[in-house]
Amino acid sequence: MEVDISGARVFFTMHTNIPILGDLQISETIVVSWLVMILITGLCIWLTHDLKVENISKRQAVAEMLVETANKFVIGNMGETFRYLIPFVAALFSTSLISNLISLVGLRSPTADLSTEAAWAVVVFVMITWQKIKTGGIGGYLKGFTQPIPVLTPFNILSEIATPISMACRHFGNILSGIVINSLIYAALAVASAALLGLIPGLVGDVLAQIPILDVGIPAILSVYFDWFTGVMQAYIFCMLTTLYIANAAEG
Amino acid sequence: MDVQNLVGLVPWTFIAQICNLFIQMYLIKRFLFKPINNILEKRKAAADAEIQEATKAKEEAQAMKTEYEQNMLEAKTKANDILTNAQKTATVQSEEILREASAQAASIKAKAESDIAQEKRKEVNEIKDEIGSMAVEIAGKVIEREVSEEDHAKLIDEFIASVGESA
Repeated sequence: MEVDISGARVFFTMHTNIPILGDLQISETIVVSWLVMILITGLCIWLTHDLKVENISKRQAVAEMLVETANKFVIGNMGETFRYLIPFVAALFSTSLISNLISLVGLRSPTADLSTEAAWAVVVFVMITWQKIKTGGIGGYLKGFTQPIPVLTPFNILSEIATPISMACRHFGNILSGIVINSLIYAALAVASAALLGLIPGLVGDVLAQIPILDVGIPAILSVYFDWFTGVMQAYIFCMLTTLYIANAAEG
Repeated sequence: MDVQNLVGLVPWTFIAQICNLFIQMYLIKRFLFKPINNILEKRKAAADAEIQEATKAKEEAQAMKTEYEQNMLEAKTKANDILTNAQKTATVQSEEILREASAQAASIKAKAESDIAQEKRKEVNEIKDEIGSMAVEIAGKVIEREVSEEDHAKLIDEFIASVGESA
């Protein structure tokens, strides 16, 4: 029994031959990302159509609750001055969450591709750095690396670079491990059911052994942790770290 | 079909995901936050307006109550004044009426007394005359003789005196 866990499939390749960037590849990651975006936007439009001031529907109550939760989360972690970041954090959270959970319908999560998390982490890193420079000026920002003593400068730079890398890898690692473990479990259960049904003598056993009967149901229970819990947790952690890092940067 | 590395950075995917994130941010802002914040704002405005209206109504009610109380107080004072005045007037009038009545009664009594006295005198005089002539007649008949005018008058006086005493 062979188990193959590979990267995102490439649907379309355009040979651009641009240095560094390489060929333009439309991969599974990008296509599913678009699907996720369409899903989220569609959900937003569905939630917010036909809004009323009084006597609201359950749908509107849910939409208002989502907005209030996002407001509370960002303002609670970062303060009133960062109100403009609410849509960004909301986009980050919803994209991450839906990307993580879309693996439940059999699609490949865009978050199972390091490029996705790296992109988000770099955006957050740029925002953190920009916030630091805005708070202390360029001089203050550069001087911050020599604190508390100049000897620590290399380590400070290292820890600064480690921030986006750790954010990206933490998220990516959790989702990838979920996919790997799920694949292994499917394969292992298929082997197990083949062995179990193969015990039935004769032709019947040979035919039944082809059907991985144990793959029905059991992986779903494990997916509660590896897909649902990890998916929600990682989206939350990523947004939590984003808000906290930026708020810290503003404090100087 | 080609596959990418399981762990690796693909530049185009990286760029695409950055763009996707910002597009997603705009879409969420446009389709979720804008309409919901709009409606929340509207609701807040409506609630504020309602509260303001209620406060205004309360103030008006308070003013009306104060005015009403003032009016009531004025009315009470006025009523008291009127009552006191009426009582005073009534007392004065009744006293006057009583005084007039007693005065009238006194005058009526005095007049009646004087009338009675006059009447009595008149009666007495009439009776005196009648009895005088009657006595003269009776006397004339009894003694059948002419009594001198002098004796006559004397007799009458004596008789009247005795009648007056017995009367």
